Amino acid sequence: MTNSRDREVDDGCLNRRQVVGYVVALGMAASLLSGTAYAQSVDLSKWSPEYVRSIAGTEKVDTAGDCSKIVPLDYKGKVSVWWTGPNEASPDISRKVNDEFWAAFKATYPNIEVDNQNIDYNQLLDKLRTALLGNAAPMVVRLQILGGIEFSSKGYFQELKPEDVGYPTADFWPGAMKSVMYDGVPYGVPTNNETMAFIWNADLFKRAGLDPEKPPATWDDVVTYSKQIHDKLGVPGYGLVAKQNAGNTPFRFMPQLWAFGGGALDEASATPTYQEVEINNAGAKAALQASYDMYVRDKSVPVSALTNTQNENQNPFIAGQLGMMIAHPAEYAKMVDLASKATGADKEMADTVVANMRYGLIPQGPERRAVVFGGSNIHIIKNDYVDGGLDEQAAKALVCFWTSPEWSTKLAWVDSNPGNLRGFKTEWMKERLDTIKFLDVTTSMLPNGIPFPVIPEATEIMNIIVPDMLQNALTGKMTVDQAADDAAGKVKELLEGM
Amino acid sequence: MTIATEREAAASATPVRPRRAGILKRIIDHRYDYLYVAPAIIVMLVVIAYPIYYTIELSFFKTPANLQMKDKIFIGFDNYVTVLRSASFHEATINTIIWTVFSTLFAFLLGLAAALSLHRAFVGRGVLRALLLIPYVVSAVAASYVWKWLYHSDFGVIGALAVQLGLTDQPINFLDNTTTVLPSLIVVNVWKEFSFAMVMLMAGLQTVPEQLLRAAQVDGASPWQRFWHVTFPHLKGVSMVTVLLLMVANFNAFIIPWIMTGGGPAGASDIWITQIYNIAFGRQRYGTASAYAVILFIVMMVLGYFYVRALTRGDDARGET
Repeated sequence: MTNSRDREVDDGCLNRRQVVGYVVALGMAASLLSGTAYAQSVDLSKWSPEYVRSIAGTEKVDTAGDCSKIVPLDYKGKVSVWWTGPNEASPDISRKVNDEFWAAFKATYPNIEVDNQNIDYNQLLDKLRTALLGNAAPMVVRLQILGGIEFSSKGYFQELKPEDVGYPTADFWPGAMKSVMYDGVPYGVPTNNETMAFIWNADLFKRAGLDPEKPPATWDDVVTYSKQIHDKLGVPGYGLVAKQNAGNTPFRFMPQLWAFGGGALDEASATPTYQEVEINNAGAKAALQASYDMYVRDKSVPVSALTNTQNENQNPFIAGQLGMMIAHPAEYAKMVDLASKATGADKEMADTVVANMRYGLIPQGPERRAVVFGGSNIHIIKNDYVDGGLDEQAAKALVCFWTSPEWSTKLAWVDSNPGNLRGFKTEWMKERLDTIKFLDVTTSMLPNGIPFPVIPEATEIMNIIVPDMLQNALTGKMTVDQAADDAAGKVKELLEGM
Repeated sequence: MTIATEREAAASATPVRPRRAGILKRIIDHRYDYLYVAPAIIVMLVVIAYPIYYTIELSFFKTPANLQMKDKIFIGFDNYVTVLRSASFHEATINTIIWTVFSTLFAFLLGLAAALSLHRAFVGRGVLRALLLIPYVVSAVAASYVWKWLYHSDFGVIGALAVQLGLTDQPINFLDNTTTVLPSLIVVNVWKEFSFAMVMLMAGLQTVPEQLLRAAQVDGASPWQRFWHVTFPHLKGVSMVTVLLLMVANFNAFIIPWIMTGGGPAGASDIWITQIYNIAFGRQRYGTASAYAVILFIVMMVLGYFYVRALTRGDDARGET
């Protein structure tokens, strides 16, 4: 019995092809890890805020010239694309760059007609799933880093590697390349990558008797600082996020879990097999206990954490009602934006918070310092599933343009970093470093990034099982141990195909 | 002999019902009627009947995360067994019953009270009627977000008011508590849909004969007696239809619980419909979700049967006389 990818249907056991596939994948991952330091345009072994600054602005790029080698500039065709772009809540600069990108593509490829749909983050996956079932998908789709694996495994995506659009694989983060591989085959090109960092309100730290310039070094410090801020000032210390069915939750909790030595599977190890369930090991339980201590024992985090996403933490933070939280690199720009829109006494408070906002590394735990390796990848969908059929040349032209050093840098202006590492050497990266506060700190977390497990079941594990585990423990429905064991049971069942 | 004659007389006195025409003849007689409704029937078959068929078919298949839908695996009734045996189904069933019964009950009672109040003429009645209709016409999505912020456990207006009035020491935890979350959502749902019951019952009140109410008043009946013995019997039909429509709407209510809590915390506000959505689109287990949806469909069909019966009772009665 075979599926649509002409592969045998999974009966829960590894067959010979799968074993070969895993070996090939491991080999490729190992070669990526070992080879990139030598072959790529930047040297990842020297990665530091200083190194990032030293290479910025050292290389000129010619996007039209690069892409013309793949698709002639006079090519006539049509391309449809779905992605999550800037919305009304985004900083003005993001919307401006977005408009410039489409204008530049039109100027470079005047004969390619573009049907571009900017779809809300929470709706894109569902919409794509539905469209694929009806063979009504777009030619190109850009998905968040975890989103593509489900579709790759089902055979919807065309094989696609950076070389297909004119760039060497070595010029992309090894972690990002892992996220586009399935069964040892690449199905996309990374557009942008980012890791989160830790922000805190120095003024609240000072008033709570803490060093205003020093973030908590460890997760145990986070628990202690949170309690101290809450007890002294009466405001939540740490911005815990534990909503069900929300992608925000694992992005905030997994760094804590990994730091303590836990994991959903063995994704934190150097050569993950994604076969070992670690969500109920001692480290995972210690991490869950730390959240329990803050929410239940100390009551030092927002009561609304169980229904909060990160968005609901922004307003308390800008109002000086929240001490610290894990935050996106774009959080500073958002806070500046929120402060600029505030009026009267609110404005004064918001300006004070922005002036006292600090970025630092995410705290480390007994095992490591960790953060989710995030970002997005761009994919080309197979002809059979595309509404009106695939125009491969037009699709490649767009992917080449999008993942170029120039546009992968510009489109990630406040939100992320270029997926194409050559972007770090451009004049635009230099401009970003000069104008965006804390960018050097947030980029320096990149080497600590751990990608979510690259398996089709990862979405359910991260968006459903992990938040459920947190909620079961924090509401007292289960003890910490029971919640972790319950989650482990669910992960095992899922992997066994039950 | 006498007895036999009496029996014959009684038999002949029984009215003989005219024989109903055969179904084929009736179709032929009404062929143009069927022709006129054919476009609507075809559209319904495409957009309603086919999805129902496909959902039932899908409920017998397993849809693993790494397989396309066309590669789904037949597993018979396993999905139904999985759903019915799962602890979360039992939890969600209890939540669904509480949600449906209390939402329907309170929305009906509040709607009835509002309808009775607005039935009498007084200054500003039109304005008040318009104001009370606002919850019904407001978008459920917008209302859910507004109520989410009103209820917010840290910065909600209701919690802040309670603290300012000295009712509590700290903001009330409405949505982040497994005990209070469902009643809090029911309040929002009742607020949203009581206007519907009000409109239905106001229409029903127009059918209560004014002479009967006046006669009862002349006979010395108290307001309660007039309501219970005159008004309410006339509202029975419309009340039945209103309650059934509210129940159907509440069984299928998705927007308010999904936006406000997503079924949380820890599944405390998870009802059937949110669980089905989550299984299908959160976990991509389309087969299991379809089996769950078929179970919900059966319940809805039972309610639908009673609804149609309530709606056509008058027609049947007229047809039999």
